[in-house]
Amino acid sequence: MSSEPLLNLHDICKSFYMGKVEVQALKEVSMSIANGAFVAIMGQSGSGKSTLMSILGCLDSPTSGSYLLDGIDVSGRSDNALAEIRNRRIGFVFQSFNLLPRASALRNVEMPLVYAGTKPRLRRKMALAALDAVGLSDRVSHRPSEMSGGQRQRVAIARALVNEPSLLLADEPTGNLDSHTGEEVMSILGDLHADGRTVVIVTHDAQIAAHCQRTIRLADGEVVADSVAGSEHRLASAAG
Amino acid sequence: MILGDNLRIALDSLLANPLRSILTLTGMAVGIGAVLYVVVLGQLTQQRINERLQSLGSNILLIRPGYSRMHGVRTAASVNTLKWDEARELLAESQVINTVVPTFSGSAAAEFKGISWSTRVTGTTPGYARINKEVLSEGRFFNDEELRRRARVCVLGATVRDKLFTGVEPVGQTIVLKGSRFTVVGVLTPKGESWSNPDDQIFAPLTTVQARLYGVDYLSGIMAGMQRAADFDEALFDIENTLRRSHRLADDAENDFQVRRQDLFLSTMRDTNRDIARFIILIALVSLLVGGFGIANVMLVAVTERIREIGVRRSVGAKKQHIMVQFLTEAMVLGLLGGAIGVVGGALFNRVQLGSGISVPWDWVGYSFGICAGIGAIAGLFPAVRAANRNVVEALHYE
Repeated sequence: MSSEPLLNLHDICKSFYMGKVEVQALKEVSMSIANGAFVAIMGQSGSGKSTLMSILGCLDSPTSGSYLLDGIDVSGRSDNALAEIRNRRIGFVFQSFNLLPRASALRNVEMPLVYAGTKPRLRRKMALAALDAVGLSDRVSHRPSEMSGGQRQRVAIARALVNEPSLLLADEPTGNLDSHTGEEVMSILGDLHADGRTVVIVTHDAQIAAHCQRTIRLADGEVVADSVAGSEHRLASAAG
Repeated sequence: MILGDNLRIALDSLLANPLRSILTLTGMAVGIGAVLYVVVLGQLTQQRINERLQSLGSNILLIRPGYSRMHGVRTAASVNTLKWDEARELLAESQVINTVVPTFSGSAAAEFKGISWSTRVTGTTPGYARINKEVLSEGRFFNDEELRRRARVCVLGATVRDKLFTGVEPVGQTIVLKGSRFTVVGVLTPKGESWSNPDDQIFAPLTTVQARLYGVDYLSGIMAGMQRAADFDEALFDIENTLRRSHRLADDAENDFQVRRQDLFLSTMRDTNRDIARFIILIALVSLLVGGFGIANVMLVAVTERIREIGVRRSVGAKKQHIMVQFLTEAMVLGLLGGAIGVVGGALFNRVQLGSGISVPWDWVGYSFGICAGIGAIAGLFPAVRAANRNVVEALHYE
């Protein structure tokens, strides 16, 4: 593991306005996650874990605080800069897969490369390789509707992997799957971690979190626990 | 992001909703088709008028008697002031007028074997046939000898021939005009429809018509032929000079005659026609505008339907401009496809309606595509901007 953490959050705050009422979704959250880590972020709904996931994934900017990804300060970046960071450094896996229904598995996986400006031929090659990595070489021209839930989520993982991101962010990746396929998906994520990738899973499910090396618990917008390999202790700034 | 990707996405989404796409395309196609049809129709009319203008020639001036005015008050009816002598004088004095053809027209009933046809009798000189480029379908025009001796000969316009003679060769027959018997010596080829049908006319020597039929010594008009159309101003000067002196008009009196170029009347027609054509094109363009609103509407729906897709694309790295260009491309594809259908449909409709000899107005096909792409772009702009500015997180969780 490298000495420089991949993610470094310092005093991240995020507030929304619900009508005229200000809601603080995140209150001075600080954490760092090392390169190659396998981390679960847990919490009840309303705990702020989805907001944290949006900020980690550069889908949203924090109201205050700093967030370093790969040593780059991404807080307060322009919309275009964030899009580029998402494109090159982050891969998303969503609960509801979020595949384009009319596009084949191959087209879905190619999508990040389209925005990266990769040439069509190379795009195809890389997408095929990513589909092969999740064991879907025989489903490249199928549409999402022609695949099972587990297969769809594997397509989504292939899409998340295709641009070789530094961070793989999974938001309840097994939420729409039965326990058996859920296990399959988790084992794929585990393999990716074993290959040296940084995987962060946002979940409310303790069983899923149990696959991870480290679990960060959120409640009411604050980190309440940070446990490594089962032994729970208070969060220290250099954890991980 | 390359054009090909956007086109593929656009076509894909159009195919996803075939009925909706077809309806939107139809709106656009009808607009473009209408524009093309109206343009071709306008051009065709212009062309016909131009052809007629060419056959008339722009170097003929028409002099007609008018009213004399002094200080804005009409002083005398002067329909009988124009004389043959003045025509001769004009020819002698002007350097630029090389032909004068006097005419006198009156109405008369022409009779042949119990058939009567009310028509116009025009007395003139043989020069009339030359200056007007008349072509005879049968016989000949009357000559100077017949003019000199007030011969009772006549030449029929095509309409008169058709009305009076059915199954009979007219040349050599005798018709009766105002009680006098005239021998038909020739028949003119038809000149075609005009405001006053030029074919519904009988021509006879001026001397005969003036003395024998109407008993007058004045003219209803003089045609003055110039060598070159460019000599118009000088010819006008000569005409005014000669006629004013001859009519003894005071210096402050207005002309008691009118001069106009024969082609100007038609030119005015042409200009009017062009204005009408432009107006109709404008109306057709409005229907294109309506088609544009159709595109805007469909694009707004498309954006709403695909908020989730927008979120997904943004999450994997699409910038705002990528999303915007994607939806703009889709709108423009709608516009251009509609335009293409309209061009093909319009061309076919033109062929059916106006005949196969009609050329495709390529310049307008070009404009049409420009207009379609433009309308597509403008119609798609607002939906596209809305799509691009969606909050990514909300879009991803949009149900």
